[in-house]
This record gives sequence, C-alpha cells and structure tokens, in this order.
Amino acid sequence: MIFGRMQRQLMTAMVVLLAAPATALAADVAVTTDGGIEVSRYDGSAWFKVGGRVMVDGGFYAEDEVTLGDGTELRRARIDVEGGVSHNWEFEFSADFADGDADVKDAALSYLGLDSTQITIGQQKIPFSLEELTSSKHTTFLEPALLNELVPSRKIGITAIYRSSAWTTAAGVYGEEFDDDADDEGNEGWCVAARATIAPVHDDRHAVHFGANVALEIPDTERKISYDTRPEAHVAGVKYVDTGKIRGVEDVRAWGLDAAVVMGSFSLQGEYVVATVAQEPEDERASSKEYEFTGWYAYASWFVTGESRDYKVNKGAFGRVKPYGTSGALELSVRYSVLDLTDGEIEGGEEANITLGASWYANRNVRLTANYVIVDNDECADADGDVEGDDDPHILSVRCQVCF
Amino acid sequence: MRSGRWSIAQILIVMAISVAFVPSQLSAARDGDERSHVLVIGKVSDNPKKHYGYLKPMVDYAVSMMGDLGITRGEVLMAPSNEVMIEYLKAGRVDWVTEAPFSALIFRDEAEAVLLLRKWKRGVPKYRTVFFVRKDSGIATLADLRGRTMAFEDDGSSSAFFVPASVLLGTGLKLVPLASPRDVPPDDAVGYVYSHEEINSSVWVYRGIVDAAAFNDLDWNKEDHMPAFCRDDMQIIYQTEPMTRAIEVVRGDLDPAVRERLRSVLLLAHEDPSAVDALWAYQKTARFDEIDAGVIADLRTMESMLSEVCEEFGE
Repeated sequence: MIFGRMQRQLMTAMVVLLAAPATALAADVAVTTDGGIEVSRYDGSAWFKVGGRVMVDGGFYAEDEVTLGDGTELRRARIDVEGGVSHNWEFEFSADFADGDADVKDAALSYLGLDSTQITIGQQKIPFSLEELTSSKHTTFLEPALLNELVPSRKIGITAIYRSSAWTTAAGVYGEEFDDDADDEGNEGWCVAARATIAPVHDDRHAVHFGANVALEIPDTERKISYDTRPEAHVAGVKYVDTGKIRGVEDVRAWGLDAAVVMGSFSLQGEYVVATVAQEPEDERASSKEYEFTGWYAYASWFVTGESRDYKVNKGAFGRVKPYGTSGALELSVRYSVLDLTDGEIEGGEEANITLGASWYANRNVRLTANYVIVDNDECADADGDVEGDDDPHILSVRCQVCF
Repeated sequence: MRSGRWSIAQILIVMAISVAFVPSQLSAARDGDERSHVLVIGKVSDNPKKHYGYLKPMVDYAVSMMGDLGITRGEVLMAPSNEVMIEYLKAGRVDWVTEAPFSALIFRDEAEAVLLLRKWKRGVPKYRTVFFVRKDSGIATLADLRGRTMAFEDDGSSSAFFVPASVLLGTGLKLVPLASPRDVPPDDAVGYVYSHEEINSSVWVYRGIVDAAAFNDLDWNKEDHMPAFCRDDMQIIYQTEPMTRAIEVVRGDLDPAVRERLRSVLLLAHEDPSAVDALWAYQKTARFDEIDAGVIADLRTMESMLSEVCEEFGE
C-alpha cells in the first residue's frame, strides 16, 4: 500500500512538473516551420531554429586524356542549429555528415548588444569573397568558381561586423580550423582579414554591390602551403591545377574585389582575387621570393520566370530565391572562370572553365540544378605531375537539393 | 521513522510546485518593483524573432529620452492574436502597440487603449486598396466579379482583406469561401481564397488561376510583389480613397507623463539623427504625426468597414 501511494505521489509530481512548463510553452512561444522548425518567445528574449540541407550530386565526364569516372556523391548532408538567448546573444552550429563523419562547419557565439556591431567568436567563415560568403544553398552554380581556392577557408577566431542600411565592414583575427591536428608540435598558423561592402542601389529587384577584401595569413611552424582545386564539379577528385607543396612560406597576402548587379530577373557577378606567397630566402645572401597567383570569374544569370536574385544588403551577400508561382522558378546562367597557379618556378598550371547552368527552384526549399562545365587546362595543369597536362574534359553535373 | 523524513515523491511534489509557481511569484514581485521603470512595446506577430528586430531599437530609442521619468529599460512583448494583445493591454503588460488601423480600433474598443499618433509606415501616411485583373479578362467593374474568383491575402490583412471585402459587400456582392482557387463559385457570388502572400495574388491573376485580387497600391508598385512582367498584363478596375496606414496605440492607464513624453519623442524623431536606425528598423517609418480631423474621419470610415466585415464573417 505504501508503495502504491508513493507511485501515485510520483505520478502527481510528474504531472505537475510536466504540466507547468507545457502551460508556459503554449502561452510564450511561437512555433513556425518552413520544412525545419523555428521556435521563438514572444518577448524576443530567446529563439532557436533547426534546419539543414541535403545535396545529392551526379557527375558525368566526357573525358579527354585522363580517366575521371562517372559517379554519384552525397555532396552535403548538413544539420544547422542556430538560436538566440538573453536578447543579445546568438549561437550557430552546423555539422556536415556527407563524408560519414561529423565535419563541423560553423560553431560560433555572437554578441549583438553593440548597436549595429556584431561580435562573433568561434569557427566561422572568414570575411572574404562574395561567393564564399553566399551560402552553398543559394549560390547560382553547383560549385564555387576556381578562384575560391585562393580564398581563406573557415577558421576559429573573432570577427567584428558593422552593418548599416547600405554598407558593411568586417574584420577579424583567426587561428586555424577546428580539426587542425592537436598533436602537431609548434605554433598554429594565424590570419587577419577584413572586408567592406557597399550597395549604393538596393531595392526589391535591383542591386549594385561592390566589395573589397584583404587577408594576411601566417602559416604554422611547418611553413608550407599548397593550392589545388578540381574543375567546377565535385564528383571526380582530380585537381588539375596544383602548386604542390611550397615550403618555407613566410606569409600569404591576399586581396580581392567583387561586384554584382541585379536588374530585375537579370544579374551579373564577378570577382578578382590575388594571393601573393612570400617564401623565405634559401640562404642569407639570397633575397626572399614571391609568387603571385590570380583568379577571376564573371557570370550572368537570368530568371526565365521573372524572379530576382535576393541581395541581402546587411550581409553583403545573396540569399534564397523565392519562386513567384506554384510551378517554380527557372534560372539560366553562364560563367567564365580562370585560375592561374603558375608563377616563376611554381608551375601549378592555369585552368579556365566555362560553365552553363540551369536551375529549377520547385519551391523555396527544393532545387534541381544541372551544370555543364567545359574545361580548358594548359600543359602545366597536371595535378603536380600525377596526370597529363593540357587535358580538357567536359563535365555534366546534376544536383537534387532540399533545404529546410 | 517515516514521520520525520520526506519521501522522494514528496520532494518531487515540492519541486514541481516550485517550478510551476515560483517563477510567476518572482515575476509578480519583479513587476511590483521594476515594472514602473520599464516601457514595453508590443505587436501582434506570427514571427516574433523577425519582429523583435523591428521593435527593440524603437523602444530603446524612446526610453533613452525618458530617464527623467524613471523609465530605464525598454522591453518587447508580442502577442499571437488581437485577443491576447487585448488581455496584455488590460493587464498593463504592454504599454505601446504599433498596428494597422483596424487592430488599433479593436484595441481602443476592447481594451480602452488610446490612439496616440499616426505612423508613416514604409514612408507613407496613407495607402489605397487596388483591385486588379488581367487586361484580357473582360472584367471592367467590380460588378463583373459576380461568378468569378478573387484572392485576398489573409483574414488579418487590412488592405488585402478587410477593405476589399468591405468594398465588395458594399457593392452588393456576396462573398463565398472556396476550398481551392480552381473551384467554381456560384453564379451570384464572388468566390474567394487566401493567397497568403502578395506575390501569390499577383501570379495567380497573371496565370489565370483566379480572376482578380486586391492589395494596396504600395504592393502594386513593389517589384517583388507585382513584377513588371505581371503588371504589364494587368489593369486596375477599382481603387479606394487613401486610408490611414498605421497607428501607434498606448494602454489607457499608462502614466500620462510617460504617454505625453512618448508622443513628443515620436513626433520629433524624424528630425533626430540618432533616431535614423531605429526608424529604419521600425518598418522604415518616415515620421509620426498627430491624429487630426482627417485621420479621425478616415478611422470612422474604417470602423464602419470593420463592423460590416465582422458582421458578414461572424467575427
């Protein structure tokens, strides 16, 4: 009997414990979904959102010299969690499981209590390059342009971002990526970067954007770096342009300019990036060497169904395409892209890609895209000696993407 | 042995009661001690995360001008519906609300709120509702909509539901809801559906999914709500007189000194460089002005529209 009474008391306690928060929940929070879920308090003090993206790719190669191999790939399978607490603090965490392991992308905490300035600490994108800072969910083409290899990748650090109604500035100091090997001896590399954007014109369907970027990277104690990249498709792994390891690197200075124009359903975008690698002298009597690598691209996009690319002035980047009608949006695009990794005795090769793109946005969340890439490699683009140079394949890449 | 010790279940019950009631008691105590130092702004919202960004800079700006009145902090409290906001106003949990005129009138009538100022939301004091159809539809007047389909935005929209519904009722047309835009309405009525977004209204008319739609003239000229390629094939068959766009409301028992300070701060905000960011965040508000005789006449017209629509739709 005593045990029975105890059970009843426990049941009562559990009911009261569960009922009280449930009552508060119903009154205090709004729950919305656009595939994912967003929960926010009506006093604005806290919110969280769970979303994600799944991108399934297929690659088909019209090979020239080198065997590349058709295939499929889970390009991204990512969960994104973000939220806000105590009005002025926000967090973001995203991890990609496409490779079978959890690959942390963003893991950062932001403070927003300084008027229009946001301070972000953690693993994050470096403020450099319009295409890099546009989410992979919203880029016009399946893969970033070749010059993305010269753009600093995500790192752990601190960024201050000021946003106004027409321009942004951002600057930060960073260490290395989260998965840098902790057993490595010596100091990590570090990096400083800054970016400014201005949009003298920006309304619902028009925008003029200019961006300028600078970065200085100091490599870790091993003092070696390399640049290599695939053509603008991801299934096959051959990276034709490849500098090989450059040793004795003192620093890498990069700068870049980007611009975009949106005129209703038509838009243009382009970037130019230069990375200069300073190599220490071989002996005291020699002078240090510098190698300059450059990349640029320009592209045009046209929405046959009338939509516009969505320029986000407070981010200085592009956002989600929203189809106008129930039958979705159709976008046609073309990009010309060049990366030159040859300078002096570094013969990493030069590659140019012409990419023809077509995307059908079934709705805000689902997108089907096909890119046809025409590759033009020079004789030095030989994957650091692993394949024949002057290999010019054509590649058809397709993707089925859902973002929620 | 048992009489001198608490069982686990008893401890859990005490914890449960604590969780359930202590926060509200603490909140009540805080209310008593601190509430008079806080100015709370509110809005009816289905997206509190988004709208918090609209409201917080504005309430912070207003509070920055009220230190001598003992107001030291600005807070936000949004509500999921007019009914909940009415309760908040009655209970003194929200001091100041920014809303469309129809909701403002409801708060005045149901919660004894005071209409404070007119807000130039998105830069304009007034807007019109326009009814539009395809040029090749053969529809030239509102009467031609009998037996046709019409898209409203949603049943909470002023310019894209209350006003056009009132206009159609005033024309002697009967409104019947349709389950789908493809459904056929009765010959003697206008069938209506909710499109939920302005762009859907535009594209549905453009593609012939519905025969007509209505929203405000700002949306008519907004490219992402009415793209040029759609507008080129459309014609406006009716537009209303200009009507007040938005109203600032305060609770009736707000300290008169705070109310009057808020009024004067908002009236001068457009001349204050330090208010630029707050006004921009506050739905791109250009300025605030007094509720003069013209606005009052406007509100009377809208009041009769509200009554007519509520009577027809049983709200």
